[in-house]
Amino acid sequence: MAESTSGLDTLELDAKLKKYRLNRHELGLITEILGREPQGVEWALFSALWSEHCSYKSSKVHLKKLFSRSKRVVEGFGENAGVVDLGQGERVAFKIESHNHPSFIEPYQGAATGVGGILRDIFTMGARPIALADYLCFGEPAAPRMRQLLDGVVRGIGGYGNCVGVPTVTGQTEFHESYNDNILVNAMAVGLFAEGERVFLSKARGAGNWVVYAGAKTGRDGVHGASMASESFEADSAAKRPTVQIGDPFFEKLLIESCLEVMAQDLVVAIQDMGAAGLTSSSFEMASKGGVGLRIDLDEVPLRDPTMTPEDVLLSESQERMLLICEPAKFAAIQAIFHRWGLDACKIGEVRDERLVELAWRGETICRIDPDALVERAPQYMRAYKPWKARNRVGGEAEVSTGVEDGARFLLSLMGHARGTSREWIYKQYDSRVGAKTVRDCSDSVAVLRLPGSGRGLGIVLGCRPHVMRWDAREGGIDAVAYPAIELASKGFEPLAVTDCLNYGNPEKEPVMSEFVASVEGMSSVCEKLDAPIISGNVSFYNETMGRNITSTPATGLIGLRADVDGVPASRFTREGETVFALRLPMAAIGGAAQELTRQPATGYGQLEPSLIAPFTRLLLSLTGARPGGPIVGSSRVVGKFGLAYALARMCEGGVGCRIDDEKLKTVRGELSVDDLFREHLYEVILTATPGKDAELEAAVREARGALAMAAFLPIGRTGGRALEIGSLLRSPLDLLAQAYGTGVWARMETGSDKTGEVRA
Amino acid sequence: MSRRVGVLRFPGTNCDRDVWQAVEMAGDRPEWLWHADRFDAAAYDALYLPGGFSYGDYLRSGALAARAPAMRSVREAADRGVPVLGVCNGFQILTEARLLPGALVKNQSLRFNDDWVELEMKNPVPHFAGPVGPGARVRLPVAHADGRYYVEDDELKRLQDNGQIWFTYVKNPNGSVADIAGVKSEKGNVAALMPHPERAMRNWMGGSDGFAFFKGRG
Repeated sequence: MAESTSGLDTLELDAKLKKYRLNRHELGLITEILGREPQGVEWALFSALWSEHCSYKSSKVHLKKLFSRSKRVVEGFGENAGVVDLGQGERVAFKIESHNHPSFIEPYQGAATGVGGILRDIFTMGARPIALADYLCFGEPAAPRMRQLLDGVVRGIGGYGNCVGVPTVTGQTEFHESYNDNILVNAMAVGLFAEGERVFLSKARGAGNWVVYAGAKTGRDGVHGASMASESFEADSAAKRPTVQIGDPFFEKLLIESCLEVMAQDLVVAIQDMGAAGLTSSSFEMASKGGVGLRIDLDEVPLRDPTMTPEDVLLSESQERMLLICEPAKFAAIQAIFHRWGLDACKIGEVRDERLVELAWRGETICRIDPDALVERAPQYMRAYKPWKARNRVGGEAEVSTGVEDGARFLLSLMGHARGTSREWIYKQYDSRVGAKTVRDCSDSVAVLRLPGSGRGLGIVLGCRPHVMRWDAREGGIDAVAYPAIELASKGFEPLAVTDCLNYGNPEKEPVMSEFVASVEGMSSVCEKLDAPIISGNVSFYNETMGRNITSTPATGLIGLRADVDGVPASRFTREGETVFALRLPMAAIGGAAQELTRQPATGYGQLEPSLIAPFTRLLLSLTGARPGGPIVGSSRVVGKFGLAYALARMCEGGVGCRIDDEKLKTVRGELSVDDLFREHLYEVILTATPGKDAELEAAVREARGALAMAAFLPIGRTGGRALEIGSLLRSPLDLLAQAYGTGVWARMETGSDKTGEVRA
Repeated sequence: MSRRVGVLRFPGTNCDRDVWQAVEMAGDRPEWLWHADRFDAAAYDALYLPGGFSYGDYLRSGALAARAPAMRSVREAADRGVPVLGVCNGFQILTEARLLPGALVKNQSLRFNDDWVELEMKNPVPHFAGPVGPGARVRLPVAHADGRYYVEDDELKRLQDNGQIWFTYVKNPNGSVADIAGVKSEKGNVAALMPHPERAMRNWMGGSDGFAFFKGRG
């Protein structure tokens, strides 16, 4: 590339490559594909579609290996969202997606348009959105801008989701210093196809068919957004505000209703939303997937600003816009539906047999290019990485110290700490019941919706625990699927399928890429054993600011199915006098989140074995699922961050305490110390038997355990009283715990105090 | 006898399908009424204005919807004594249309609030919440940002004197004047409340106190 045929000197060329965020190697590839150097808008097209965000160029070689098929999968990767068949005529579409960079630049709009974008991916398929979930990672609350970011993100999610009328039913919120300069905002949406409703795809078909633009007009917002999201942050993130899109949930609501109506009347051949890289990605992808060409007249695109250039029009990420392919005879009916909902729909082009996308502007053809060149032929990089090696391992239990001596005091400080306190302040700002399907909401560990057709339960849960990732990327990847799968099973839901949002730092750095490969392999191996394929998702690289990378965070969303919604175990103790049991699958133990707070080095021992996860979930399901004689499990909780004492404290939230027998605990755990109450044993589930069902529960475990001899099951105590008592190790009155948990960090958020909860070991 | 019930739909209404389902659960026959169209005010046994964000709540919650053509028919129906129930945004629309007194302004917290609340009935509206009498308590979900009921002191006194306060909150979630959660018109056939009875129709929803609001007269 020493000589440039376009006559650019080296300096000019470098400037151009920088503007379009391409490198010399990629320019060489483009030149080879085109047989000449790119010209005019082609620069912008390649910049957008070959960006990391659109092309997955650093991850594709690894994503191809993901476990992604099962007999239930109707649509997987490659479409706007994955679709799973639930049987009995019901299908769901779901996906999780990141909006990290925009949310850090402008939290309200960044989060709001994240919600809007993921909803469009769902209703584009023909499914009515029925639930939203959010996976959020913030820095330390005292970090610069953090309160404003948290407040803006929460308001943005609520402002959009509440208005479009899709309930937010679950979420996860993390705080850690690695997100101080790069927060994560991942939104998941679930949509439902009722019996007989068709799945719509984005494959353009049929020469002579029309390309129809529907929804909001195109403005300058979000131009170059996709390539912005594919770059690390330097110190100038505020200067990138113009690349953030502005959302209008009212418009989205109208778009949902009109699109679903158009699809219900079978008026479209193919449909796709204009998301990242706007009209460019939607049109080129539709053509490429359909194996056809398109001619698009950019002058027909409705504009907010007549001075926009063709490049602006192509790259605008204005929200709430859709691209449809229809037969010419059906256009009038489509237009009538959009008009009825107060929206515009207009023809902007036609489908052609010849596999070329032709763009016209002011009467001239400004581009004629094979869509596959942009969509299929982006480079795929095998970034340097090292094979996984277990790390941060110690010999045994004694060395996994959290350093905690005064258990009651430490527990109380956890309940008020940002990482342990109630998320009520967040989720009370979200409408959790619109749609009238919500059975269990954000206050529960698993969200439950009732499917209106069959009356069955749909469970939704998010996963990935960053503190486990910080201990070990492979184990963290396994845990990102295993932990939520066990949570589903603890409520009687069979895990069916997974969506993932892979948030990582700079893939060009070997440690980051090594964690990526190890964790994705870990995730996929559990998915395979569970027969719960990964059917959709996205990758967000370059979560790096001024050289600092975030904790590798492969967020997951799982859905599960249950035969009814009546016998779902509670997440809190509901009755006095129930026997408390511990069900354990001891594979590994870590100092975990408590260790991080007491500033001990992260340590652990053991290793997670993916092949044991599936029998463990089956064992749980045999206890917690719908049973002819009524439920035998009254309440359940998976022991998670901060270990057993914190899990029990959370189960006492309903006002019913418990008394744990330390001798029995010793039998089941093999050790007894204050320290151990805050270690995380992977995996451990607390269950209570419904009144009079102790023997039946024990018999059911005996019967089902056959395949999993290493699982331990023992009674450890009884519910009742107004305190959490663990033998002589810990005693905490419930009113004190509730006070610390309920007020926590949020009161200080509102008043602006910098104190974020102190932890005392 | 099943009733013919009109359910109003404005652009941005988002509880329409939930109200439709609730009307069906109660054994009545729902029909859509579109914001842009007038309808026969004598044709319906009851009218429901569901919650949501009509016209995006631009300008003020309910302000644009109150001026929609369909609302002229709602007014005619109200004048004829047809029972009209507004829920959440439906309440906001009815106050903006001056079919009910007062106004709904931003919550005291300045934030959206999703929760379950307990309500106490002050004066019955027999068309809705049927046989339940004064002093009775019901538990329903709320989900709103603009749910703080406001009236001037003299108007509040008039509401109290006329027995127009339908429900009050047991624990005020939004700063409403006199804890008011729902009011009714002087004639008593137009009524509205901020909480969502259509979200509490069955035990699996978390409660079934909402069912009575759709059952009609005792």
